[in-house]
Formats: sequence, structure tokens, C-alpha cells
Amino acid sequence: MTAPLLEADNLSVRFGVGRLTVAALDDVSFTLTPGESLGLVGESGSGKSTVLRAITGLAPLSGGRLRLAGADVATPRRMDFFTAVQMVFQDPYASLHPRHTVDQILAEPLAIHRIPDGEARIVAALREVGLGPSYRFRYPHQLSGGQRQRIAIARALILRPKIVLLDEPTSALDASVQAEILNLLEELRRAFGLAYVLVSHDLAVVAHLCERLIVLRQGRMVEETTAAALRDGSVKADYTRAMLAASKGFARAPAAASIAPARNI
Amino acid sequence: MTAPLLEVEDLRVRFPLAEGTVEAVRGISFTLGRERLGIVGESGSGKSQTGRAILGLTAKPGEVTAERLAFDGVDLMAAPPGLRRSLRGSRMTMVMQDPRYSLNPVMTVGQQIIESYRAHKPVSRREAKQAALAMLEDVRITAPDRVMALYPHELSGGMGQRVMIAMMLITGPELLIADEPTSALDVTVRGEVLRILDQLVSTRGMGLILISHDLEMVASFCDRVLVMYAGKIVEELASGALGEARHPYTRGLIGCLPKLAGDSHPLPVLARDPAWAR
Repeated sequence: MTAPLLEADNLSVRFGVGRLTVAALDDVSFTLTPGESLGLVGESGSGKSTVLRAITGLAPLSGGRLRLAGADVATPRRMDFFTAVQMVFQDPYASLHPRHTVDQILAEPLAIHRIPDGEARIVAALREVGLGPSYRFRYPHQLSGGQRQRIAIARALILRPKIVLLDEPTSALDASVQAEILNLLEELRRAFGLAYVLVSHDLAVVAHLCERLIVLRQGRMVEETTAAALRDGSVKADYTRAMLAASKGFARAPAAASIAPARNI
Repeated sequence: MTAPLLEVEDLRVRFPLAEGTVEAVRGISFTLGRERLGIVGESGSGKSQTGRAILGLTAKPGEVTAERLAFDGVDLMAAPPGLRRSLRGSRMTMVMQDPRYSLNPVMTVGQQIIESYRAHKPVSRREAKQAALAMLEDVRITAPDRVMALYPHELSGGMGQRVMIAMMLITGPELLIADEPTSALDVTVRGEVLRILDQLVSTRGMGLILISHDLEMVASFCDRVLVMYAGKIVEELASGALGEARHPYTRGLIGCLPKLAGDSHPLPVLARDPAWAR
């Protein structure tokens, strides 16, 4: 049993004050060991992205405890936190600065963390994500969606983090490009011993990349299960089963175990 | 055998740009009866431009040409703009991808539905309101009188998409083109919206063209599927016959999806053959 790299105990995030308080996350706990890959699944509004934002400090924690390699994480996050934890965002069209070249985008984390030998690191980072040095002086608008996502991954990896948080890394991409990015993520994970926390609404993508997964609904954990259970359909919660059925495509007969109308969707 | 609802023969959409002409749709032909037809392809394959060209919504400076483009016997290519305008919205309509961008943010849902109804039917405001309420109920919105007074930003994605469908179907069209109606929605809500579409199509006997990038979803929903690549139809499949796909592009597209059943690491990657685009 290896020591957990990241431990989250009873995380909760609340937005708003008084009567308008919304509990975006309520009592979410999990651990992540080095090299492991954990999936977070749920509908929009289930709080799956909020988990990642809470880890990185983009959403304020209103309760719970977060530990990285056994030590409590400080708020605001310190520099050394970001050398260990990096994030890749959903939309590669929005997460890269439109007026910075690829070179500037990749140089920024190196400059912030005062890492010498930037030139070589940038060329190496581009090679790692399968892009040649010819991409170095292009602007994001000169790249396709898949290439942009590769740049976003290179930016996350250039500091050699131990954990990479992936927020729907392929949902803005075409199916064929999604396959390339998923393969790249798997390769990089093997090469650098990375741990992933992957947020996705696509159960097949999560089962492909992760061994363990957590199902969230309205900020609460519904179930913690494994990809293997997802494959053979032995998941326990009704909600997970309904999601599994819905992801299999359209069935003309209305599903018997339709998802309970928790709200007027 | 009645005449098909929609006949498309050698449809082409061109965009003359400074750096040369781009052909988005390059000679596609199909006919549509009162059935569910799916058009599948990746971004840039011309699937949305096909839908827009049929309705006459191609953005300037795009040019549409076709050997024949006929809706219920009416030649759309020769039809004057006035006739096309009167067809559009009343007999053929389109549901757009994202309700957040396609609904007017400063009008209530009710106002928008009533407006689209009265634009095509000479009815009083009160009658239009009754029709709008009934239509919202048809798309299974609970408490339609409450929803009528809401603004688009107060709706969830699934509710917004249902409002769009209600708005498009209130005039009783015969042809509905749905451009990625569910891609902005969660899988669980997706099933719900599809089921509503399915029911309305079968009870009203409409023709439906469902445009999507999601091959599996389309194949499980539609009677026939057209697969588009680089502006051309590369393959036509019957519903549920995905396994019989012959074209390497279709097979590649199916193969590169991660599957819940059966694991493949690494995923097969689609190798594009320039010959497909020829």
C-alpha cells in the first residue's frame, strides 16, 4: 500500500450567502495514490468540475481538508503546490492566450517558477506531446483543436507535475481527435508516472482512462466504483445504472428506471 | 408510393474567399420521406451546411447550387425568396444546437413562441397563447404557464432545448431539421429530448433530419444514416447496421471511440486517406 499523494476529506464548497446559498460540493472525500487515475462523473451541475477547482484553489473551500503528500495544503496555494499539481481545461479554444505564441505560452510557467534552460524544456515539451519544433512560433488560431489541446497538455507537463487535473479534456474534440488525445494521455502517464483526476460526462472515456471513479450528483457522492464494475454493469447505485443505460444510445421504449426527476430539467 | 417530402440532387455549397473557393458541400444527393434520417460527420464535413442550404439559410457569400432541390414538389432553387420565406418556419424548420445562443435573451419564452406562431398563422394573441401552452405541454414541460414567463437564462439546457423544439413545431411543420439538438446536453437529458422528438415525429408524421457528430446515438435513433466526409456522402447505413459499415472512414470512426464493453489500449486512430475526399 503506497501512501496517498492527494487526500480530500469531506470537501465542501458553497457559493452565495444566506438564503441564496448553493452547496456546490457537499462532503466529498477521496484519495489518489501516485500513478493512479481517478474519474469524476456526473451531469452538468453535479459539482465534478468544482472538485478540480477546489483542489487548485480556484473555488474557495468552505469545509473539509485537503492534503498533498501528507501535508495540509495552504490557501492561497503556494508555488510548490503548482509544481506538483497542474490542470488542463475543457475548451482548448478558450484556455490558450490568443495573442501569445506557443513559445510564450510554454515559457510562462517556466518563468514564474524560475526554471533555467527554458529553450530546451520547451522543445522537449513539444516533442513529448507529439508536435515538432515547427509549432513553436505559431499562434493558437493557427492550430486545430487537437493541436491546441496538445499545447495545453504540454503547458501542464512542462513543470513535471505529479498530478494532472483534466477537466473534460476531449469533449470539445471530434471522435477521431479524441482517440489521439486519449492515447497521448495514456502514453504520458506511463512515461512520467502521472496521477490523473479526470472529469468527464462520458462514461466510456472515464472507463478507458481510469481504474476508479466517483459518481457525483448535485454535489454529493452517489457511488465510488471501478471501471471494471462499469464494464460488467455491476454498479450499485440506481443513478449510475440509469446513466449507464442512457450512455448506450437511444432506446425507443422509455427506460423503466428513468432518472428520477430531481428537478425540472 | 407518394412523392418524397424532400429531394436533393447534386447539392453544392461554395464559399468564395480571398484565398480561393471553399466547397463545403460537394454534390450530395438523397431523398427523404416521412422518416428519420441521420447525417453524421466530423467538424467541417459539411453536415450543418447541408441543413442550412435546404432551408435557404446559407450565410453570405456562400452560393448554393443543385440539380434539384425540391420540398413536397416545390422546386426550391427556382422559388422566389418570398415563397421560401413563407415555407421556412411554417412547413420546414430547424432546431439549432445551443438554446443559449439561439433564443432571444431579452424576450420571455412565451413571447418568443407566440411571435413565431403569429408570424405564420392569422390568430389572435389569446389563441396563440393557448397554442403555446399546449405545445409546451407536448414537449413535457411541467407548469407551462410558469415557464412561459421565464427568460432564456432562467432555463436549464434541457428545458431550453425543449422550448426551442416547441417553438419550431408549433406551426406544424412537415420537415424538421435538427442540427446537433442534443450535443449541449447531458446524456441523461439527451435521452429525454430524443424521446420527445421521436414521439412528435411519429404522431405528426413529419420528416426529420438529425444532424450530429455522434454516430452511435444517430444510428440508434434514425431509420437511415448518411455518413459525410469532406462534403460528400461516403456511406449510407440502415439503422442498427453500424456493424455492416464498409467504408474505411465509417469503420475508423466507430473504431476510435472508447467502448465500455471491451477494452483496447491504445485506441485505434483514424488514418485519413486523401482518396476518400475525391
